Amino acid sequence: MAAETVEIKRAAGAALRRISSAELHFLENCVGCALCESVCPYTEVDPGYGPVSKAELLRRIYRKEMTISGMILGPLVHAWMPGAGDLGLVREVAYRCTNCWHCYTVCAFGINSGTLVNMLRTVVDGVGMTPAVLAEMRKLELEGAGGKASATLAEVLNRAAKEIGKDLPFDKKGANVLYVPWPVEAALDPDSVVATIKILDALGEDWSIPKDPLGLRVPVGSLVGDVKAAEEAMKSFNDRVSDLSPKIVLLSDGGYPYSSLRFELAEAVGSTPSYRVVHVSEYLAEKLREGKLKLRSGSERVTWHDPCKLGRSAGVFDEPREVLKAATSGFRELPHNRKDSYCVGGGGGMGWLSDELRKVAEEKLGVKSSSDGESEFLSKADSDLKKAMKRKMEDVKKSEAEIIVTACPMCVKTLVMGSQIHGPEIKVEHISTFVAERLG
Amino acid sequence: MQPVPATDLYNLAVYSLLPVTIFVFVAGMFYRISRYVSTWKRPRASSPKRGKGFGGAVVGLIMTFLHPIIFSLKKERSMFTTGLLAMHVLGVIPLLFLLAHHVVWWAYFFPPYAALKPLAIPTSSVSSYLSLSAPVHPASSMSFDFVNTVWGPLTAVLNGDVLAVIATVAVGYKVLERIPKISGGRRYIRIGDFVALLLLFAIIVSGYVATHHMLGPDMSDYRTALGFHILTAEILVMILPFTKFFHFVFGYWYGKLHEWYDLVLRRGV
Ligand code: SF4
Ligand code: SF4
Repeated sequence: MAAETVEIKRAAGAALRRISSAELHFLENCVGCALCESVCPYTEVDPGYGPVSKAELLRRIYRKEMTISGMILGPLVHAWMPGAGDLGLVREVAYRCTNCWHCYTVCAFGINSGTLVNMLRTVVDGVGMTPAVLAEMRKLELEGAGGKASATLAEVLNRAAKEIGKDLPFDKKGANVLYVPWPVEAALDPDSVVATIKILDALGEDWSIPKDPLGLRVPVGSLVGDVKAAEEAMKSFNDRVSDLSPKIVLLSDGGYPYSSLRFELAEAVGSTPSYRVVHVSEYLAEKLREGKLKLRSGSERVTWHDPCKLGRSAGVFDEPREVLKAATSGFRELPHNRKDSYCVGGGGGMGWLSDELRKVAEEKLGVKSSSDGESEFLSKADSDLKKAMKRKMEDVKKSEAEIIVTACPMCVKTLVMGSQIHGPEIKVEHISTFVAERLG
Repeated sequence: MQPVPATDLYNLAVYSLLPVTIFVFVAGMFYRISRYVSTWKRPRASSPKRGKGFGGAVVGLIMTFLHPIIFSLKKERSMFTTGLLAMHVLGVIPLLFLLAHHVVWWAYFFPPYAALKPLAIPTSSVSSYLSLSAPVHPASSMSFDFVNTVWGPLTAVLNGDVLAVIATVAVGYKVLERIPKISGGRRYIRIGDFVALLLLFAIIVSGYVATHHMLGPDMSDYRTALGFHILTAEILVMILPFTKFFHFVFGYWYGKLHEWYDLVLRRGV
C-alpha cells in the first residue's frame, strides 16, 4: 500500500475510533430525505455542500473502515476511502460548514450533520491539510496566546482602563465575576470588550480580569476537529480560572467558546467546574430583573441575530430579547429567528478563511495566514462565504431594522461584511456595545 | 380447478421462510443495537443543565417530534406531502398495521392484536361500499366485524385500494425524484435507496394484485401472488436491521430521544 494511502487510512481510523453511540446514530441512520438541505447556509452555494452530501463523504469512509458490507461490497454500498487525489475535495467539503446545528434541529431523525463534518475535519487534520490559518491559531492557543495576540488584547484593555478612568482589577482572587475576553475578540470587535468592562464598572460589580489571555479563543482545536487540542485548551483554561476562584466566568463571546465552556468543559476536564459560565446577555438580563441595570429607552428599530452557538446550541434566546426590549420600543424579530435563525455563514472557522479576516489574523494575532498550495482553496472559500451570507442579509433587509445586535465577534464581523457586499446598510453592534451606549 | 402444489411460492413464504425471517431479523437487531451499547460512553462529569423543569421537558419532547413535521409543512411542502403524508401517514403505516388482512395476520401471531379489529380498514371500495349500503347485521359475526369498523362512511376513501394507490404513487415519486439529483452533486443518493424503494413498491403492488386476484381466477394464481407478496415482505423484514428501514424500529426513536436529551434537557433549547 502506498504511504499516502496508509496515512489517509490512519487518519480516518483515528477520526472514527472515538465515535460515541450518538455519533454512530448520526453516521448510520440518515434516510437521505434531504430536509436538512434547505436550512444550511452553504447549500445555496452548491448543492454538494448540503449537510447530507457533506456528511456522506464521512459516511463512505465509515462504511469502508467499519462495516462488514462496506469492506466486502465497496462501491456497491458506497463505501470508499479517499485517495491522495481526493483529499482536495474532502478538505473543500469539510470547510463548508459553520457547525450551526440548524440541520440538527430540522432533521426528523435528530441527526447532527455538523458533528459529522467536524469529524471529516479530523480526517483532514490527520493528513496535515488543515488550512494554515486555523492550524496556526490552534498552535498559538496551545502555546499560551502570547506575542501579537496578547499585545492586541492588552491594547484594548488599556483603552478600556482609560475610558473608565481606573486600573483594571487584574487577577483578583475570589471575585464574583471573572470577565474573560479573548485576543480574537480584541482583534475582531474591540468595542465589545471595552463596553463589557464599562458595564461591569458602572454596575459596581465585584469583578476581575486575567492579566494574560486564557487562550486565543478557547477551544480553537474544536474548529479543526482536533479533540485533543480542544481538551488541552479547556484544561488549561480551567486550571487558570480555578486558581482565581470566581463564582461566575463572564463571556462577551457568544460563539463557540460559550457552548464549549458551558457544556463540554466538564467532560474535557473530568469534573464539574466550581464556577458558572455566563454570557453577558444572561448577565444583563439578570441585572435588569434585579433592577440594578437601568437603561435609557428609545425607539430605534432594533433586531437581534441569534448566534448559533448561543441560541441553537445553548438555549439563550429570551435573555437578549429582554434586554433589547428594555432599551427600545422599536424591537422587531428577524423573519427567521430563535431556533430557526439563519446562520450568517462565518462560524466554525469559515470566517477566518476569508481574505479580509486572514489579514486580521496576520496583523492582530501574528499568525501565518496561508501556506503553499492553498491559494485556490482559499479564494474559493472566500467567494463561497460571500455567497452564503446573502440569505441572511435578505432576512435582515426584511426586518427593516436600523441596528442589528448580536453577541459573537465573528457574527459581528461577518454581518458587517455581509452588509457591505449585499446590503442593507445597517449598524451592527455587540449587545455589550449597544447597552453601554444606553446606560441610564 | 388445478391442484395446489405442495411446494409453491406461498408455502415457501408462509411455512419455510418465516422462521428464517424471524431469526435473521432478531439476530440483525441484536447486532445493530449491540453496536450502540458498545459505543456508549459514560460521561466523566456533567455540566450544569439548562433544562426548563418538568413542564419544559414535556413540551420539549413533543416539540422535538413535531418540529421537523411543522418545518416541512411550512418550508418543504412537496417533501411533506409525498414523504411524510402519502408514504408514511396515509400509505405504509395504516396499510401495514390496520388493513383488515394484516390485522388478522398480526393477531394470528400475537392474539392481543385482535383488539384492533374495530379499527381495521377494509381492503377495497367494494367492502367499504357495504358499510354504507348494508346497514343490516350480516349473518356471521366475522363479516360483521369487517364491515362495521369505526371508520364508517370514511371507508369510502379509507380502504386498502385507495391507500395502496397513494403509497404506490408516493414510492414511485420518491424513485423518480432521486434520478435527476444523481448528477447534481448530491452524493447522498445511493443504490440502496432505489433497492429499498423498489422493494417497497413490489410489496405494495403484489399485495394489490393478490387482493384483486389479478393473476387469474385459479387458486394457484392467488397463491403465487400472495406468496410473492409475503416473500417480498419477508425480505424487507430480513434486511430491515441492515438498511434504511432500520429507522422504523430504532433510528427514528433513538435519534429523537437523544436530540431531546441533548438539546432540551441539557441545553435548554
Ligand atoms: S434531514 Fe436527517 S435524515 Fe434527512 S437527509 Fe438530512 S440528515 Fe439525513
Ligand atoms: S451545521 Fe450548519 S453549516 Fe454545518 S452542515 Fe449543518 S446546517 Fe450546514
